[in-house]
Amino acid sequence: MKKLLAVTACPTGIAHTFMAAEALDQAAKAKDVSLKVETRGSVGAENELTEEEIREAHAIILAVDTNVDEDRFQGKNVIRVGVSEAIKDPSGLIDRALEMEEKSADEYVEQVQNKKKEKGAERQGFYKHLMNGVSFMIPLVVAGGLLIALSFVFGIDAAENEGSLAYYLMETGGAAFSLMVPILAGYIAYSIADKPGLAPGLVGGMLAEQVEAGFLGGIIAGFLAGYVALLIKKYFKVPRNLEGIMPVLVIPFFATLITGLLMFYIINDPVAGIMGGLENWLQSMTGANAFILGLVLGGMMAIDMGGPVNKTAYAFAVGLLASEIYGPMAAVMAAGMTPPLGLWLATVIGKKRFTNEEQQAGKAASVLGISFITEGAIPFAAADPLRVIPSLVAGSAVAGSLAMIFEAALRVPHGGVFVLFIPNAVTNVLLYALAIAIGTVVTALFVVLLKRNSPQAKAAQANE
Amino acid sequence: MQLSEILKNEHVLLDVNVNSREACIDELSKLMENTGVVSDSAVYKDAVLKREEEGSTGIGFGVAIPHGKSSGVEEAGLAFARLSDEIDWQSLDGKPVKSVFLIAIPEEKAGNEHLQILSQLSRKLMHEDFRNKLLQATSSDELIAALDE
Repeated sequence: MKKLLAVTACPTGIAHTFMAAEALDQAAKAKDVSLKVETRGSVGAENELTEEEIREAHAIILAVDTNVDEDRFQGKNVIRVGVSEAIKDPSGLIDRALEMEEKSADEYVEQVQNKKKEKGAERQGFYKHLMNGVSFMIPLVVAGGLLIALSFVFGIDAAENEGSLAYYLMETGGAAFSLMVPILAGYIAYSIADKPGLAPGLVGGMLAEQVEAGFLGGIIAGFLAGYVALLIKKYFKVPRNLEGIMPVLVIPFFATLITGLLMFYIINDPVAGIMGGLENWLQSMTGANAFILGLVLGGMMAIDMGGPVNKTAYAFAVGLLASEIYGPMAAVMAAGMTPPLGLWLATVIGKKRFTNEEQQAGKAASVLGISFITEGAIPFAAADPLRVIPSLVAGSAVAGSLAMIFEAALRVPHGGVFVLFIPNAVTNVLLYALAIAIGTVVTALFVVLLKRNSPQAKAAQANE
Repeated sequence: MQLSEILKNEHVLLDVNVNSREACIDELSKLMENTGVVSDSAVYKDAVLKREEEGSTGIGFGVAIPHGKSSGVEEAGLAFARLSDEIDWQSLDGKPVKSVFLIAIPEEKAGNEHLQILSQLSRKLMHEDFRNKLLQATSSDELIAALDE
């Protein structure tokens, strides 16, 4: 038997969308034809068509007065009419759809494959969700990072003076940074589960931030929240007249509850464990070979940028300042500067590997890099963790170990290039700058090399 | 929440005499202003008429569902009028209109809940027996009861 599909949508999405859907449903029932109707009203898409259903369908009726994504129907029989047509003459539409010539399944499959090739990974779920989250996060990273960098202009410790302009700049930048992970998680979940995913995603991201799980924790929170919301939407059925409470009450409540508890039970404790373990490990290495200590500290700085591993390395180095051991601090800062600097360099020498948005973010990353604001690298790492993080770790490990070998020493725990102007803050300034430069180049080369076949590179090429 | 909860008893006019689309919308928005569902009927009516300009809400079968999302609306509301004489609504099927549902949706917090309830109304209207009940109801209670069946 021929199977039909339909999509209905109207500008306000309140009345005609559903009347058309009901009219088509009724007409199909009267004719004993299999028909599934997706409604795209103001409550969002309901009864969504799956890829499998589209593949098996004989034809698709689009009764829409707004733009709907027609790409997914490429290679299929499609009838396109206004929404009122479906209300007026649903059975005529169904007849027309049934009379259309059979298109071979191969044609559709071929089209789908072409489409996938064309758009690269833009359409592949995992990266699509990540990139959605990252694209909402980038403005926060850029604005927050630049504001914090700006506060350094007034002097390296100017921001500690409560009530000063530098203090307010630092606070504002800090506020933007604290939203970074929640927004990342929220919009990953939004991409997965639509509007009902946003609340659990934001909350999950906030918890990741609070338990200091960093952006990697945020990514986990986003996917967790998104799929939990999606599963509830799919499998939790309520009587039709109660459906109204699903998107506003049932899904947000349960998805947030489940995500929140999972964050505490499966993320919080391991994170605390990791931090404790690493701390002991670093303590045991205090007397070890300087080169190895620099390598380890450097790598740790770049693994999760602001997450538990990074924080442990940073805290370790800051702790040593009190004992007048300044080498590890220099290694840590060099390693914290190379990730954004390296990515900036990569966007310059390997433009084609990055989306437009990333190229712009790259410019800001250069400023954040010289200011020792490692977070500038997060959008890149979050969008393509498996390729970017190893590159960052490599560059940072090199920078960290070189800083130790060159016997650079740093007496303040922050500031980036701005400390270079402070007398006696840094020992072996020139060699120290060289260590950072080499680390930057290593990072950039790795990124450009590894991102050859990345989804971003493909997406960027597809856009050309 | 059910349809009957937003269609208040005071919002139902059976066999009312109006001579135009504007007059009908006018009467119904006044009813909702009286119960406080609509806070500013002038502002709300603008939104409704603007929606009519974009395309008639006369869906055929003698039914029209004018609707507007406006800051002049306090809470989601529904009003119904059965006209003693049919009037022209530039309906999809060209036929005059006998039953009118006026839908009010607040600008802010346009909760999904209400939208979904209204989508149920839209679906119901496509069924002939439901439309017949609208025409045959002898009291507002009877009409409201038909909504939840």
